[in-house]
This record gives sequence, C-alpha cells and structure tokens, in this order.
Amino acid sequence: MLSGSCLCGGVRYEISGRLSGPLYCHCSMCRKAHGAAFRTRASVRAQDFRWVQGEALVTWYETSPGTERGFCRVCGAKLLSRFERNPRFYGLPLGTLDDDPGVKPGMHLYVAHKAPWFEITDALAQHAEEPG
Amino acid sequence: MIRGSCLCGAVKFVIRGTLSAASHCHCSMCRKAHGTAFGTYAAARADDFRVLEGADRITRYRSSPGIVRTFCARCGSNLQWLREAKPAVVDVALGVLDDDPVVRPACHIYAGSKAPWYEITDSLPRYAAGVETGQ
Repeated sequence: MLSGSCLCGGVRYEISGRLSGPLYCHCSMCRKAHGAAFRTRASVRAQDFRWVQGEALVTWYETSPGTERGFCRVCGAKLLSRFERNPRFYGLPLGTLDDDPGVKPGMHLYVAHKAPWFEITDALAQHAEEPG
Repeated sequence: MIRGSCLCGAVKFVIRGTLSAASHCHCSMCRKAHGTAFGTYAAARADDFRVLEGADRITRYRSSPGIVRTFCARCGSNLQWLREAKPAVVDVALGVLDDDPVVRPACHIYAGSKAPWYEITDSLPRYAAGVETGQ
C-alpha cells in the first residue's frame, strides 16, 4: 500500500497495487503544469487508486482533449491525471507520494522540448518525442 | 525581458532585468507543491516582476511561517515562492518561463530530503539543507 498527500494535507490518497511505466516527461505542458524542469509520472490502475480524504478539493483542468490534470485548490499540489479514452489507468506524478514507490523512472520522453536550463546527466534512454 | 505564463495562459508575467541565485530545491514542500522530484527557482527583484494578465487567478498558499507559494487557480501551474520578510525579492519557478532565463541552477539544496526514486547525477554542489543566497 502506498500513501500520498498534497502539501496542505487536505487531500490524501492510497494505492493498493503496483505502479508501472515510471518515466520523466520534458514536454512543455508537463513543464508548465508542474512549474518545474520535468514531470515524473507512473501509471496506476484506476481500481487500485482511492481518494482517502479531500477529493472535493481536487480541481481538474483539461490540458488537451480528453486529458485532465488534477491539483489541490488550496495548495496547488499536482495529484493525478485521468484520461477519457483510457479510464482504467491514471497518471500519477510521483512528487506527492509519502512512501517509496519501489520503482524508478526508466526513460526520458520529449527531450526535444526540454528546458534549456536543465541538462540530463543520467544514463537513461532519451526519446526526442514518444518512443516509436 | 523574460516572459512567463501558466499552462492555461490565464496568468502572464514579465521579468525586466536578470534572474540570479538559481537552485534546485529537493525539500519535501517543493516536491509536494510541484508534484515533482524537485522545484527550481531563481530570484528576481520584485520591482522587475510584473504581472500582465490574470492577477486575479494567482492563488496564494502559506506553506510555512513567512513563506507563500503561488499558483494559477485554473490550471495549477506553480508560479512563485515568496518570503514575507523580504518583499523586494520574488523567487520564480523556472518551469513556467517562456524564455531562456539565462541563469543556470548552481546547486541542489535540501538534497538530504530528496525523493527516494530520484538520483542526482550532475556535478553541481549538493547541500543537505538550504544556503543563504544573500538575496
């Protein structure tokens, strides 16, 4: 069981299963949404994810057709993405986890769009866009 | 002139002059607020920071005594880190800049609090806690 929470503590969630496909995304939308160098996310099965507290505090913003990103409206913490075309999985930004997920990112995506002020210095695979 | 905007475009700002004292912050509050491995901020003079649009969308959250973090109420983009005792300085989240900030992060701070799933692999100095930048 993994636990996560936003910065103010108003929103709490639990994940009962494993996370899969952890990766770094350097696309401009992820950088803007998180106000950061990149996003680190994994996939979680919707049936394994449960809001424990504060679901009503989660504001959803549709960043592209059919994709919504949720954040806490009190503290702004980025919590979850959901996909109209694939409702069985959510995208989980790892930053709000309170526990070690036991997985590590395996690749970098959208490196062609990365921030000019951040250099990738690890040995992971880099893809200019999505892997082919 | 360095331009910045949130993901939905409701908030737009410009920074006249230069940014300084850029660093990657791995503290648990930055990791939570951004939902990422770390936050990266650089300092602007408050006189140089001007909001062009969407000031009414900027939501303030006091994450610890004297520290305020701001974000767009519509899309959630993190924008600023503000010290109430030092109103002359605005720390800007580099991720929402549209232009190259020119300055580059010089160190990792609060590396002692970093996420277990993230390894720091560059050669920048790492500090277990914060450093006083003199800002």
